[in-house]
Amino acid sequence: MQENVTWIEYPHQQTSPGVLAAPRRPERDLMAKWLKLVKGKEALILLIMLLGLWSLIAQFAGGQHRYLFPSPVVTARALGASLPELLRGTYSSFLILAPGYLLAVVMGIIWGILVGTTEWLQRAFNPFARVAAPVPPTIYIPYAIALMATFRASAIFVVFIGAFWPIFLNTAAGAAAVPLRYRDNARILGLSRFEYLWRIVFPSSLPHSFSGMGVGLALSFILLTVAELFGANAGLGRFVQYYADFADYPRMVAGIIYTGLITFLSMELLEKIKRRALFWVR
Amino acid sequence: MAQLSTIPTRVKGPYALTTESVSFGYTGATILEGINLAVREGEFLSLLGPSGSGKTTLLRLLAGIETPSGGRITCNGRIISGAEMDRSMVFQDYSLFPWMNLIENILLAIGKAHPGRTKREQRELAEEYLGMVGLDGLGCKYPFELSGGMQQRVAIARALAVGSPVLLMDEPFGALDPINRNKLQDLLIDIWSQASPAKTVVFVTHDMDEALYLGDRVVILGSFPGRIMAELEVNFPRPRSRQSYLTDPELQALRREIVDYFRQDVMEQLDGIGAIRSQREGI
Repeated sequence: MQENVTWIEYPHQQTSPGVLAAPRRPERDLMAKWLKLVKGKEALILLIMLLGLWSLIAQFAGGQHRYLFPSPVVTARALGASLPELLRGTYSSFLILAPGYLLAVVMGIIWGILVGTTEWLQRAFNPFARVAAPVPPTIYIPYAIALMATFRASAIFVVFIGAFWPIFLNTAAGAAAVPLRYRDNARILGLSRFEYLWRIVFPSSLPHSFSGMGVGLALSFILLTVAELFGANAGLGRFVQYYADFADYPRMVAGIIYTGLITFLSMELLEKIKRRALFWVR
Repeated sequence: MAQLSTIPTRVKGPYALTTESVSFGYTGATILEGINLAVREGEFLSLLGPSGSGKTTLLRLLAGIETPSGGRITCNGRIISGAEMDRSMVFQDYSLFPWMNLIENILLAIGKAHPGRTKREQRELAEEYLGMVGLDGLGCKYPFELSGGMQQRVAIARALAVGSPVLLMDEPFGALDPINRNKLQDLLIDIWSQASPAKTVVFVTHDMDEALYLGDRVVILGSFPGRIMAELEVNFPRPRSRQSYLTDPELQALRREIVDYFRQDVMEQLDGIGAIRSQREGI
């Protein structure tokens, strides 16, 4: 069977030394040219394409769907008109987000360092952490609202719970994995327990803490807006819910885009802080 | 075996470090066995051994960051219990803390050695130690901005800043290129010979020439399990010159002796393997 085909001469089977160039295909050349042309502007082009698609959908959606798809221009106008309201909403939302998240950062790191470096604490808390951490924190919202005196307090609590676990778990893992050479050096230098935790374990596990803080921040925004859908009288999630109730979709879509932007900026800020704090990581 | 642990007569003074039949191992694996060692105050002792001889483990035991499974270790006549301020150590992997700049790294040691001084005095002292290893004015640099040789200089400065009479060094120049290695060897000898009060150094290496060039005495470790095979006196006046060292007939004799010990060690291990093999063949 094999012999039957050996007489066919495949160009790449030639015995001559040297590598043969792959056969040129014109469509590939075109693609390469195009890619070269848009290099560095890919995201911008995609954005323009998406806006175009959005305009088309808004243009051609008929009947009752017309109201569901406000065009980009209409949405931008709505965004401009409700900017003062959105800014007030941002302020109100951050009054929930900041205390909840910062409390989670402080508690998560302190507790993570203690548990990560103390074997008996690890043994005591590990089973509970494994059960409690995966519980979706959104499920606490109704109970938190019932439990706490004000909506703000309950929302802060929920944001705290949601952000705490990833920060705590990551920091504890980092603190438990401090490289042996740092531990040896700390012992040779005779550092006290507090000095060891503060000057060695804390910075050494900081990269882990920051990845927990990233996950925690994203979760915080989810929890914040969900909690606001439930029972707030101000805030970003509340803004979207309010105009959805009135079927004012331009404002609602504007609220979604605005919230996305705020979330993005917050994550960028965290990334900046991280890069500055971890300048020594190579 | 006892006569192997003779104390050299050339080095006078009380013992800085002693080990009495120290052994170390985990279940099923003996790493060190019957280590009897006596290091005089102010002595520069080279611990020479192949990999698997437990030389790093022995140094960690002396430092107190490992606990022997048998025997005891004394430092200045006192049985050691863990890492204490009378012994300081330089590790092979220039283990400075990367999130602190050089001065902060050294200040960590000075804060322990001189807790009574003001912040300003401590800082000046740290600068002084940095100058001692030839890195004046680089205090604000971070370890990642430095070459391996420079990092190891800082590690030495930090170990000196602890101010302990005993300095333990675990292949500190093992990862350096030959030129930097020679420079740092000379720097170390300079610092050691000028130190007052005198410093006792235990220097672990697998490099025969390094052991002979630096040490007053070379202790040779055999492998599997780690044990002391021999102790050689290196009776060469200081300061030593590298050139005459290489050609000196007496030194050549010492080198041959060391090579013989290592060959003996290897042959013993091969015999051991052979014995096991022939046993198996018998079955």
